[in-house]
Amino acid sequence: MTTRKSGSRLETEIERCRSEGQWDKIPELVRQLSAKLISNDDLGELLLGECKLQAYLKENPIKQGSSPRGPRLKLVEVRKHLTAALDRGNLKPDYLQEASLLMAKLCYVEAEFREALGHYGRVNLDEMQLAGAPVYRLSMIAEAYATKGLCLEKVPAGSPSLSNKNSGSPSSSRSTTDREQEIITCYEKSGDIALLYLQEAEKALSAGIQNRSPKPGPTTQEQELGYFLETGLQRAHVIHFKNGNLTQGVGRFREILRAVETRTTQNLRMTIARQLAEILLRGMCEQSYWSPLEDPPAVSPLDDPTRQGHIYIKNYSLSRSPRLYSGENLFCPQENTEEALLLLLISESMANRDAVLSRIPEHNNDRIISLQSASVVYDLLTIALGRRGQYEMLSECLERAMKFAFEEFHLWYQLALSLMAAGKSARAVKVLKECIRLKPDDPTIPLLAVKLCIGPLHWLDEGEMFAKMVIDMGEKAAEFRAKGYMAIGLVYSLKATDASLRSSQEEYQRKALGAFQRAQSLSPTDHLAAFYLALQLAVSRQIPEALGYVRQALQLQGDDVHSLHLLALLLSAQKHYHDALNIIEMALSEYPENFNLLYTKVKLEAMCRGPEEALLTCKHMLQIWKSFYNLTNPSDSGRGSSLLDRAIADRRQLNAMTLPDFSDPETGRQQVFLLIWDFLLSVTLNFHSGKTDALKSEVYIGMSKPAEAAACTQEAANLFPTSHNVLYMRGQIAELKGNIEEAKRWYEEALSINPTHVKTMQRLGLILHQLQRYSLSEKVLRDAVQVNSTAHDVWNSLGEVLQAQGNAAAATECFLTALELEASSPILPFTIIPRAL
Amino acid sequence: MLAMDQGVVEEWLSEFKTLPDSAISTYAASLKDKGALVPSLYKVIRENYSDLLEPVCHQLFEFYRSGVPQLQRFTLQFLPELLWSFLSVSAARDPHTSGCIEALLLGIYNLEIVDKDGQSKILSFTVPSLSKPSVYHEPSAIGSIALTEGALANHGQSRVVYSGPHLQRETFNAQNRFEVLTFLLLCYNAALSYMTTTSLQSLCQLSSRVCICGYPRQQMRRYKGISSRLTVTSEFLVQLITGIHYALCNGEVEVGSKALDDVLYRAQLELFPEALLVGNAIKSSLHGAALKSNNKEGTRSIQVEITPTSSRISRNAVTSLSIRGHRWKRHDAVDLGSPDELMDISEVDEGDWPVGLGSDLTPPTITISNSVTTLNLGIKAIKKCRLGGRSSKDKEAGPLAAVRAASESAELSVKRLTLTSSQSVPKAGALTSLTRTASAVFSRSFEQVNSGNGPASNHVASEAGRYSCSLQEDGMGYLSPMPNHTQRSPSISIHLGSDL
Repeated sequence: MTTRKSGSRLETEIERCRSEGQWDKIPELVRQLSAKLISNDDLGELLLGECKLQAYLKENPIKQGSSPRGPRLKLVEVRKHLTAALDRGNLKPDYLQEASLLMAKLCYVEAEFREALGHYGRVNLDEMQLAGAPVYRLSMIAEAYATKGLCLEKVPAGSPSLSNKNSGSPSSSRSTTDREQEIITCYEKSGDIALLYLQEAEKALSAGIQNRSPKPGPTTQEQELGYFLETGLQRAHVIHFKNGNLTQGVGRFREILRAVETRTTQNLRMTIARQLAEILLRGMCEQSYWSPLEDPPAVSPLDDPTRQGHIYIKNYSLSRSPRLYSGENLFCPQENTEEALLLLLISESMANRDAVLSRIPEHNNDRIISLQSASVVYDLLTIALGRRGQYEMLSECLERAMKFAFEEFHLWYQLALSLMAAGKSARAVKVLKECIRLKPDDPTIPLLAVKLCIGPLHWLDEGEMFAKMVIDMGEKAAEFRAKGYMAIGLVYSLKATDASLRSSQEEYQRKALGAFQRAQSLSPTDHLAAFYLALQLAVSRQIPEALGYVRQALQLQGDDVHSLHLLALLLSAQKHYHDALNIIEMALSEYPENFNLLYTKVKLEAMCRGPEEALLTCKHMLQIWKSFYNLTNPSDSGRGSSLLDRAIADRRQLNAMTLPDFSDPETGRQQVFLLIWDFLLSVTLNFHSGKTDALKSEVYIGMSKPAEAAACTQEAANLFPTSHNVLYMRGQIAELKGNIEEAKRWYEEALSINPTHVKTMQRLGLILHQLQRYSLSEKVLRDAVQVNSTAHDVWNSLGEVLQAQGNAAAATECFLTALELEASSPILPFTIIPRAL
Repeated sequence: MLAMDQGVVEEWLSEFKTLPDSAISTYAASLKDKGALVPSLYKVIRENYSDLLEPVCHQLFEFYRSGVPQLQRFTLQFLPELLWSFLSVSAARDPHTSGCIEALLLGIYNLEIVDKDGQSKILSFTVPSLSKPSVYHEPSAIGSIALTEGALANHGQSRVVYSGPHLQRETFNAQNRFEVLTFLLLCYNAALSYMTTTSLQSLCQLSSRVCICGYPRQQMRRYKGISSRLTVTSEFLVQLITGIHYALCNGEVEVGSKALDDVLYRAQLELFPEALLVGNAIKSSLHGAALKSNNKEGTRSIQVEITPTSSRISRNAVTSLSIRGHRWKRHDAVDLGSPDELMDISEVDEGDWPVGLGSDLTPPTITISNSVTTLNLGIKAIKKCRLGGRSSKDKEAGPLAAVRAASESAELSVKRLTLTSSQSVPKAGALTSLTRTASAVFSRSFEQVNSGNGPASNHVASEAGRYSCSLQEDGMGYLSPMPNHTQRSPSISIHLGSDL
């Protein structure tokens, strides 16, 4: 403070140059200074010595990890200046201290460590004022602590040094620990003061820019820290980690990160934030974590137990510390993933800012550097968010990585996978296409794309294209080759289901069968290959062959739910209903909450044991449904919570279910209930909303009072006016009530929404038959048969219509077909079993 | 099993039973010193038919139920081994299922899914947001945060559930098996720092075996146990990977990397995006960090070096930040825009005239001079042109200025400017010749193109001729005479020629 008060303009200018590191201006200023007062000569010597030393260090920077190289010719001059300044003793105490510190630094550069320590012994560093000191002096003190630490590391413990006077005594372990403690304290103090210095320097600089003329100062360039400050900031935690003292290292990291950032510390912060995140993710767990504002645990599993002797206790406090982030409602992480995420998001924002965009060859290296530092951050983000199942957020983060991603396979692939995991299927497929372009030999990528295409997207043509890619790889695809055939088989199988023409249906079925056979022969130990082959055979009504393969699948994977289900359906197709029911019950013991199985069970029970038992199963289903949603609701708070996703996935699975046919006109109340239950299911399938429970109660009312079933359906119709299922239901209710005309109207509306809904077509055909509009009825039923050629009841109805028209020959043929199909017809269509990769 | 092991285990069984409640905590602390005990217990678990298995499982459960953290961790360290024992038995469809292991696993699960008051435990965490101040940052220093849908929806932190609530389970079945096991692994992972190396190795082994049994890779690994495939779920694999990651970074490099490879192999075959995602990230993040396999037990391979603090990216490279700074500059340049300034455009062009293009060229001038008022030619654009103009003049001014100018114009290179003009519509036929002849590359995105580009005068009054041009001068050194307009299909790049 004293200097500044008396300071003339010249002195202020000198101070500013020293703070901003403009050493080249000093000689000129010193000349002006000496011209004023002779007593300034000593100060001049000090300044000249300093600027020459700094200039030397700028030209010959000390590299991290290398030792100083001993005396140099150029430094002789520096020593002369400093000796002159010190020897005459005319300097003010502040300047005298500065001269000593510079001398010590010079000694270090010349590798005279003991001498340097001697100088530090004379100047008591701990007593130097931090409050009110000019900015450059903060830097000097920080450097001095760092240099002292460096010297202490070089001079073996126990040897005479002025700071540690136990001369002569042999180095005991006690003094080694003391020495280590002293070294770390030096570095930590140096780091703290360095942070303070950088904050102050930046403040001074921005104040300077505001005060000075509008022309921007020429020195706005980034300040560089230099060897000593860099060491001071980082050496302490390096030593902590080297000693296996993770707790202290993490503590030190946090101290540095909590200090308000400056331009100069940005890169350091980015590095440290990343390193701390790495430690949090790689070396810590929930139970060993402590939050940044808590004291570290006294005993931690993180610290190397074999090096217990190296316990370090922080026991200093500075008169002035760097400014920390402060304020109300500061977010402080409470968990290791939280802290890692926060740090990574901060690093990410910095890495993103440094993304090198220009693609000219000169900046190739820069681009690689920026890409590397960003990829590390994105990988760590993936690890942290993946652990917590936050794929939605992850996909957004990785989307930001795309500015680095040009021709970078890893980033593209990770984005694609995150989109896939987040359920953004359409976009995932687009990104996967780019991945295929970048890495055409990897069979996994097109297979992932097929998985999406035949699953949530139902893009069968695209799926076929991707699957062919895998097949075209031939032997190169190795274990994935069978998977490729399975994929294309599934595509064809689904296409067959979708096809409206019988000929193309049969063509696809044939292709699917061929592909599955190929897959099965390539991978005979894969239960899925055998299972899909069996399923395809079942769909083509080759029941005995299908049974053979499904048994094979079950031998490979005894508790596979789909294989068990298929086995039960196959048995039902052979009219072994009791055996089928036994299989279903066995499957249910392994999968008690599987709705598909329960649904099949209901149908089988109604067949074998009568409606009462089936009704009990229905009630059971409702209970499961209820508990399932009660369980899900409380966790609805967050987006993408894994449970919710699971619910959605389950719903998707249920979507494959078909509604019960309502063929008996003399249906009882139980049938109505079944119908309503199905309806309820279809409602919840389409949307799951709070309305479910309200609807449910109405279902029960509907059960006891059939009239109210209509009200319930009305409610549903209000909710989903465009659902063909709802319209179909309303038609059935109208039919039950005997309103043929009304039923016809509902069926027609249902067909206008979904023109290929076979069951509606069949009902409509029957009604038209009743209304004696035979040719129209025949037309509708023929269309229905085109859509689904295995619907035996449609064939039967068609036969009846033809008979009524007097076409006995054709009718007979239809009846025979119906009979034949009925003989191999399962209790529920085989396609109820989901087909997915 | 040796008699000695049996003796150790039996002693352990009886000692705990007679222990008074008050002595439990000292007992828990002393467990560490029983060196022979842990290996003996591993042997008991591995040998499925040992008579000791049932009492051991029972006591391990008692340990867990005690609630003393050390005792709970003692039990947890055997979790990987228990899981493998359970899975291999159930895969082999062995009728002699080790019911006591099942009971132990279910017991731990049922204890862990509820809190102290018996309520379902819901594990949640806060997703930090950069828009809220934290102990490590101030939102203002971060700069603009991308306004994605997600960012808007989560302005501020949000709490997210990552596990729970879970149902109590009485028995294992195919449906809940992996749900329970995944949750148990989650508990194990929460205590990873306390796990011994043996336990971590056992976890890696479990991961490898679960993933490769029944697959061709099993032969490669020469594992001869069960040979049927085990069904897995993606979530289960992700939890395994979390444990493997810890093992990898804490001394178990060899088994760890083998296990990671095996899990990735299986995730590929199963097409599990989640497991692939996390596994790939771990592989790639460890790629650079050379992991040291330390022979000393318990050494961690987390190492930190002093890194240079200065940016390793050269200053004149165009980065996201430099672009952002640039846009900012553009906004405050409002006071320019006189016709004088406009003339500079041609100066720029002259300055950057590629050498070697014929002398038959007259400098391109954008003849918009007398129509400044009708022109929305962005003031920003003009300013930019002016900057560029200065730089070309500065070339003669000395090397220092040239360097500065170079960096300025490098910054310019990415800046786009929009000029909306009702004039300067090129002749339709002139387009091709224009392409060949000019220097500054203008890419024009046509909002609406007049049919056939209409009358080719300087004064096309047509409303349709609104072009936005973006100046693409790629710094002085990088200007190519041939524009690569084929790459930017929606906009047409033309070179402006003198005949405008």
